[in-house]
Amino acid sequence: MVRPRLRNLALAVSVYAVNKLCRRVVQEPELRRSLAEQPEATLRALAPPLSEEEIAMLLAGDVGALAKHGTNHFLLHQLARWGLLGLDLPTHGARIRAAFPEQALRSP
Amino acid sequence: MAAASVAELVGAFGVPHNPHFPDWVRDGAPLAGEVSEMYATVAEALAACKPDALLYITSDHYNLFFETLPVFMIGVAESAVGASDYPTIPRREVRIDSRLARHLQRYLLEHDFDVGALQELTLDHTVIAPLWFIAANWDLPIVPFFINAFLRPLPSARRCFALGRALREAITAYPAGRVAVVASGSFSVEIGGPRIFADAHVGVPAPEWTDRVLELLRAADVETLVRESTDEQLAAAGNAGGEVLDWITMLAMFDPAPPATLDVQPWFGHAYATWPSP
Repeated sequence: MVRPRLRNLALAVSVYAVNKLCRRVVQEPELRRSLAEQPEATLRALAPPLSEEEIAMLLAGDVGALAKHGTNHFLLHQLARWGLLGLDLPTHGARIRAAFPEQALRSP
Repeated sequence: MAAASVAELVGAFGVPHNPHFPDWVRDGAPLAGEVSEMYATVAEALAACKPDALLYITSDHYNLFFETLPVFMIGVAESAVGASDYPTIPRREVRIDSRLARHLQRYLLEHDFDVGALQELTLDHTVIAPLWFIAANWDLPIVPFFINAFLRPLPSARRCFALGRALREAITAYPAGRVAVVASGSFSVEIGGPRIFADAHVGVPAPEWTDRVLELLRAADVETLVRESTDEQLAAAGNAGGEVLDWITMLAMFDPAPPATLDVQPWFGHAYATWPSP
């Protein structure tokens, strides 16, 4: 019983770290600059730390996978809003809709 | 007429807070005229009720709160600047009626609502964007009140209704003054999630829920709105669907009445409403 609970806790803490990164980019211009200039080094220096899987997904701009991983969708779109990690809003939209095709809306 | 011996609620309003609307109006975007006109209706009604303070009910969009997640919070600082999240919105410092804010917090605590106090804060687009329209050149002091509408668990609609009733009592327990209230938020909207339109970063996942909220507003049927605003319904309305809780809190502050004006932008899942002299 103990090991699965510990694994769940580790996952929850890690998703929190991605969410926190997305929140911080809105408020911290210096973090945005650092992510633009040295994305991998910046991601590896974050506290709380990201997992290797999360770093890879972030560097790939794979918001669909990050969303499926449990990252907050609203917060994820902040990366695209600020043009970070190769993302812009149309790219974010296409990738997150593709990850959940059953939820996609038709335009009005 | 003798001056009122207690404070009174002199107007109630509901507005959306799309962060891009000030840009659109400044740049003459296609919907600029419509947005300006709909906000102007609210601005005129707000000015006509001559408030001394504006109780501003909104929901933080992860700008103030994340590491700590209060359910209810009130800003009691002397002032705050914003918008903290959208530098394109003209930055302004907004005066806060700290004395009224502290009274409201104390009254709510005495009546079993454990509301926290923010002694230092910034304001995000949910406050600054609407104020750009409804109090553009007006140093109207506000009392910012935050309801968690984003990160679950959210407070229930029933709890928010009771909160609004307590706020109503709290205002009449204040020595004097004219207080207006505004709720800031949409009824159905998804931001950055999968339920967005193909050509946008937002969407309206539950247009039928927007229609239902509007129907209940027109019928002044707040009780049914509260009953139908379940957590499941709010989640189906989008990742910002909880914002209807801000409206429910505002609606609880006066006896049910149809809005004097109700302007709708269905493709945004939101509306502009006024209740002068509620």
